[in-house]
Amino acid sequence: MSRVLTWRALLTLAALAALPAVPGLPRYYLLLAFDALLFGAIAMSLDLLMGYTGLVSFGHAAFYGLGAYATAILMERGVLSLWACLGFSVLVVGAYALVVSYFATARRGIYFALLTLIFAEVVYTFFRYTQTFGGSDGIQGLPDAELWRGVPIDTPERKYYLVLAYLALAYATCRVVVTSHFGRVLVAIRENEDRARFLGYSVQRYKMAVCLISALLTGLAGAIYPIRSAFATPDLMVWTESGEFIISVMIGGLGTLVGPIIGGVFFTILRDKVSSYVDWYFIVIGVVLIVIVLFMPKGLLGFRRLLGFKQWRATA
Amino acid sequence: MARDGVVLEVAAVSKSFGALAALTDVSLAVREGEVFSVIGPNGAGKSTLFNVVSGLHAPSRGRVSFRGREIGGLAPEAINRLGVAKTFQITNVFPEISVGENVRVAAQSRSADSGRLASLWRRPDVEVRVDELLDAFGLAARRDALAENLSHGEQRYLEICLALATEPSLLLLDEPTAGMTPGETKGATQLIRHVARARGLTLLLIEHDMSVVMGISDRIAVLHFGEKIAEGTPEAIRNDPKVIEAYLGGGED
Ligand SMILES: Nc1ncnc2c1ncn2[C@@H]1O[C@H](COP(=O)(O)OP(=O)(O)OP(=O)(O)O)[C@@H](O)[C@H]1O
Ligand SMILES: [Mg+2]
Repeated sequence: MSRVLTWRALLTLAALAALPAVPGLPRYYLLLAFDALLFGAIAMSLDLLMGYTGLVSFGHAAFYGLGAYATAILMERGVLSLWACLGFSVLVVGAYALVVSYFATARRGIYFALLTLIFAEVVYTFFRYTQTFGGSDGIQGLPDAELWRGVPIDTPERKYYLVLAYLALAYATCRVVVTSHFGRVLVAIRENEDRARFLGYSVQRYKMAVCLISALLTGLAGAIYPIRSAFATPDLMVWTESGEFIISVMIGGLGTLVGPIIGGVFFTILRDKVSSYVDWYFIVIGVVLIVIVLFMPKGLLGFRRLLGFKQWRATA
Repeated sequence: MARDGVVLEVAAVSKSFGALAALTDVSLAVREGEVFSVIGPNGAGKSTLFNVVSGLHAPSRGRVSFRGREIGGLAPEAINRLGVAKTFQITNVFPEISVGENVRVAAQSRSADSGRLASLWRRPDVEVRVDELLDAFGLAARRDALAENLSHGEQRYLEICLALATEPSLLLLDEPTAGMTPGETKGATQLIRHVARARGLTLLLIEHDMSVVMGISDRIAVLHFGEKIAEGTPEAIRNDPKVIEAYLGGGED
């Protein structure tokens, strides 16, 4: 089949679409599934940078948070159209990502991680202390967004299908990108960026482009979050959030796209389950992560090999 | 202005690293279709000359022109896109992807979509060109192996495949046979010459092995402590007293 529409992808989508039909499933689980899939999609977007290009962003929470604030700011002012919120988020996140990616890719090595982190902290601090946007409380108590006039995205089912549609779109985008001419160059940059230049590739342009794609996908995830939660707060873009995205990618398996989705889902569910018993869920996550890094360097997806499945290929 | 048949002109190029003068006032002209070799003792500045021509370093002084166009100081990617490719003295490939993927990513660099928006979704078909190169260098059976798992000799060939895949008209080979046994060196030299002829390439070559250099070159330039001390046919170089002095006095090889 094609690069995107594999039987496996379609079956997975169908199974996920059937989730609300599970008899007796508490509606709360649909919202947990929303969070899990959203987190997974963000981890997948980050994998374009980490797994394919070899760049570690410590500032993805800013793309996420900016997307969320863009939606919240519009909805607070009575603009409830989903499409307007998505469009505005793309503009805001895109403009910010252009600036960050330009500076972060201008130099090599550790600067990328450092600059993405510093820029994100500036954005966090701005929203944390700007009273127009609610300061530390953020923007709360938002109404329901509308798919179009008269069709509010109000029930857990509708919210769940919104995130599912987003995930499908983000996955298709990532798959197309990594299997394209462009995706091959990303892998070459990860492997040996000096040599890539001697083959005629303007490495910085490729890095900026992949940053922009990853940032926009993460920004779109941010844009739909307030539609489920009815709020946007500065906590969405605190730097530990970026760290959790990175951990999800590593748990799932670098350079696999599907792995980070599973990693993000796993992380979200673990956090939800553990933190309902103990506050120190991060210790549990930490132990899990150490076990994975030590014993499964390819992440959860790498585990499939031990079970006799065919190995996933980082480059298609 | 390009002089008749001159592909690459290096005019009074100097390059220093801090106080170290790696190249001093070096000039040479490489003509279309010839094999031009650069020899000289270790540290003579041969690789530095290649790095200046291929864009890794900007010349401190002097000019470099390729087909009449000034390229001194351009970025490596820009120079490559003009048709100059280089192999590295120390193997410099993409280690953790397959041999086939290595050559594919190099080959697609010249596809129509390269550098355009459409490259985000299109995947150019470069298989024919990849197969040709892998066949020519005996790597066809190794296409699915990771590059880092190749033998040293195979990696040296892959190094050349990457450069050739970008379809250069001028190929810079920095000691392509470095680390090969004398037997391998002989085979490799014949193969390189054969491929260069078949593709109508101009070759600029650095080579340590004197028998190789004398056999393959149309003309030879000799560097010593960053200066060009001689230039001429293999016959003339073999008998040049300054060259003999440099090699004997230099105390190596
Ligand atoms: N990037 C650099 N920074 C500082 N010094 C350098 C650099 N590159 C080369 N040099 C110095 O310039 C001089 C010439 O080096 P170069 O590599 O060009 O020699 P070479 O003729 O290629 O030698 P070899 O036969 O050993 O490869 C050496 O003294 C080297 O140490
Ligand atoms: Mg050298």
